[in-house]
Amino acid sequence: MAKKVLTVDDDPDVRLFTTTVLEENGYVPVEAGNGEEGLQMIKSEHPDLVILDVLMPRQSGIRLYRELKTSKALANVKIIILSGIAKKTFLRSQQALTEFGESPVPEPDFYLEKPVEADVLADTIRKAIG
Amino acid sequence: MTRILLIDDEPDIVRVLSRSLRADGYEVSSATSGAQGLAEFERVHPEIVITDIKMASMDGIEVLKQVKRREPEAEVIIITGHGDIANAVEALHFGASDFINKPLRDEALTIALKRAEEKIDIRRRLKEYTLDLEGKIEIATRELRRRSNFLSKLIRSSYEGIVATDEHSRIVVFNPGAERIFGYFQDEIVNQRHLSELLSEELAGTVQRAMTSQRSFKELPWREASIASKSGEPIPVMFSGSILYEDDQKLGAVVFFQDLREVKRLQRELVHSERLAAVGQTVAGLAHGIKNILHGLKGGSYLVDVGIAKKDDQKLRKGWEMIKRAIERTSNLVMDLLSYSKEREPQFETCSPNAIAAEVCDLVRERAKQEHTELVCDFDPAIGSVRMDPHTLHTVLLNLVSNAVDACLFDESTSKKWRVGVRTAAEPGSLIRFEVSDNGTGMNDEVKEKMFTSFYSTKGHRGTGLGLLVTHKLVEEHGGRIHVDTEAGRGTTVTVWLPFREAASKA
Repeated sequence: MAKKVLTVDDDPDVRLFTTTVLEENGYVPVEAGNGEEGLQMIKSEHPDLVILDVLMPRQSGIRLYRELKTSKALANVKIIILSGIAKKTFLRSQQALTEFGESPVPEPDFYLEKPVEADVLADTIRKAIG
Repeated sequence: MTRILLIDDEPDIVRVLSRSLRADGYEVSSATSGAQGLAEFERVHPEIVITDIKMASMDGIEVLKQVKRREPEAEVIIITGHGDIANAVEALHFGASDFINKPLRDEALTIALKRAEEKIDIRRRLKEYTLDLEGKIEIATRELRRRSNFLSKLIRSSYEGIVATDEHSRIVVFNPGAERIFGYFQDEIVNQRHLSELLSEELAGTVQRAMTSQRSFKELPWREASIASKSGEPIPVMFSGSILYEDDQKLGAVVFFQDLREVKRLQRELVHSERLAAVGQTVAGLAHGIKNILHGLKGGSYLVDVGIAKKDDQKLRKGWEMIKRAIERTSNLVMDLLSYSKEREPQFETCSPNAIAAEVCDLVRERAKQEHTELVCDFDPAIGSVRMDPHTLHTVLLNLVSNAVDACLFDESTSKKWRVGVRTAAEPGSLIRFEVSDNGTGMNDEVKEKMFTSFYSTKGHRGTGLGLLVTHKLVEEHGGRIHVDTEAGRGTTVTVWLPFREAASKA
C-alpha cells in the first residue's frame, strides 16, 4: 500500500510543490497549513512521514517537532524538516527551550534547507520511509 | 609751609612784621617798594601777599592788580590807613582778599591770614577734587570704550549669526556670522533692510509678536527653522531671539542663528552610511527570504516540468502561477531594498490621511478576516485634507497594519480573540498621530532590540526583515517619529507621529 506523507507548511506554494513531488514518486500526500492543524492530522491520518516547516503561524515547527518527539505515541513518526532557516538555527532554538527546563529532544534525522531540488527531496523521502 | 610776601616802604614795619610772622611759622620774604615786591613775587611765588596801600612810585592797589594779573589765585591782603574806607573798597573791588587797618594789630592780621589760608585750602581741595573727578571720568570712559570694543568684537567674532534691530524692526547689527548664513554683506543690510525682508513670514511674525506683546514674551526659545539665503537656498538653522529693553522702554530685538547645514549634512551622511552598512548585512539577513523565494521558483519550475512531461495542463498552470508569485515576491523584496538604501525626499501633496488609512485597512481586511482577526478603525474626523507625503503614509501604514495582522496570525494562544486597531488623531504642533495596535504575539526583548536595526524576521516565508526598517526610514525622512510599545504574549502598539503642512485653501 502506498505510504502516506503529511506536509506541514503555511506557504501553499511549498505544499503544492511537495505534494506534487510526493504524487510523482508514488506517495499519498496530505497537507496542513500550520502546526496546530498538523498535529491533528498526524493523530487522525497516521502518516508514515511528516515533512515539516519551521516558521509558521499558530504553532511553529519548533514547537510541533518537540511535541512529537516527547510524545510516547508519536515519537516514532518519521520527520523531515524542510525550512528556510538553517539547521544550526533550528538546533539552537531547540537547545534554548531545553535550557529553559523543557526535556531535551533528539536532532532531526533529516534536515533540508529551502530551496530544495525535487530529486533531492524525493531521495530523502525514500531514505526515510523507503 | 605757607609763603608770605610782605611789601611796605617802611623798613621798620617790614622788619617787625617779618619777625612776628616767621615766629608764627610762615616762610616770609619782603620788599620795600612795589616794583621790588613784584620782582620778589616772580621769584618766590608766595601764596599770600601783604602790601601797604600807600607807597611811593607804585601803590598797593597797583601791586594788587599786577599780582592778580600774574597769579589770580594769590591771596592779597591790603594794609590801609585808619578810616581809609574808600581805598579799602577799591582794593576789594580789584580782588583783594581782605584789608587790615593801621596801626597793625596782631589779632587782626592773624584773622586775615587765617581767612586767606582757608580760602587757599578750599581752592586747593576743590582743585584736587576736580582733578580727581577728571581722572575718574577718564578711567570710566576708557573702561566703557574697552567694554564696548569687547562687545562689538564679541558680536563680530561670534560664529553664530547675530542680527539686531531697532524698535521699528530696522536692522542695525548684522555680524559676519549672519553674512555667512544669509549670503548678504553687512553693507547691504544695516540701516537699509527690515527683519521681515530677511526672514520668512512665519519667523518675522514670531519676532514681531514678541516685540508688540507685553513683557511676558521677552525670550524666544531656541528652535529649528529655515531661512532663505540671498541666492534663495533654504538654509536650516537654529533660531532664537530676545527683545531688548532699557528700563521699560523697548530698544529693539536681537535674533541669533546657528547654521545647521554642516550638522544636517553630517547627520545625513551618518544615516546614509549606517544604512549602507545595514544593506551590507543583508546578504546574511536576507538569505532566509531569498531561500523561500528560490524554493518557490524551483517548485514552480518542477511543476511546469511535470505538467509538460505529462501534458497535464492543470499542473503546468499551477507551476506557472507559482513562478509568477515568486517573481512578485522577488520584486517586492528588491523594491523594499532599493527604497531602504536610497535617500528620498518626502513629496508633500494635498491628501486625506484618513482616506489613505481606510484604503490600507481595505487592503488588509480580507486577509485579517481569513485569519480570524477583527480590524477596528477609528479615524479622527478633525484631520481632513493636509499636505504630507501620501506614498510615505501608505507604505508606513500598510507595513504596520500587515505586521499587526501577522502578529495575531503568529500568536500561539488558543483563547484570544484577535483584534487589530488602527487609529488616527490630530495633535497640536501640526502633527498627526497614527496608532496601530494588536493583541497578538508581542515582542520579547531580543526582537524589540533588533526590530529597527538589522534585517531580521520572525515570520518565515512572509518576512524579508525589511518592513520596519523601511517604515522607520520613511518616518524619519518625513520628519516624524515612531514609538513601539510591546509585551511578549500581550501585543504591540506602534505609534507614528508625522508632521503635516496646511493644505492650500481651495479658493
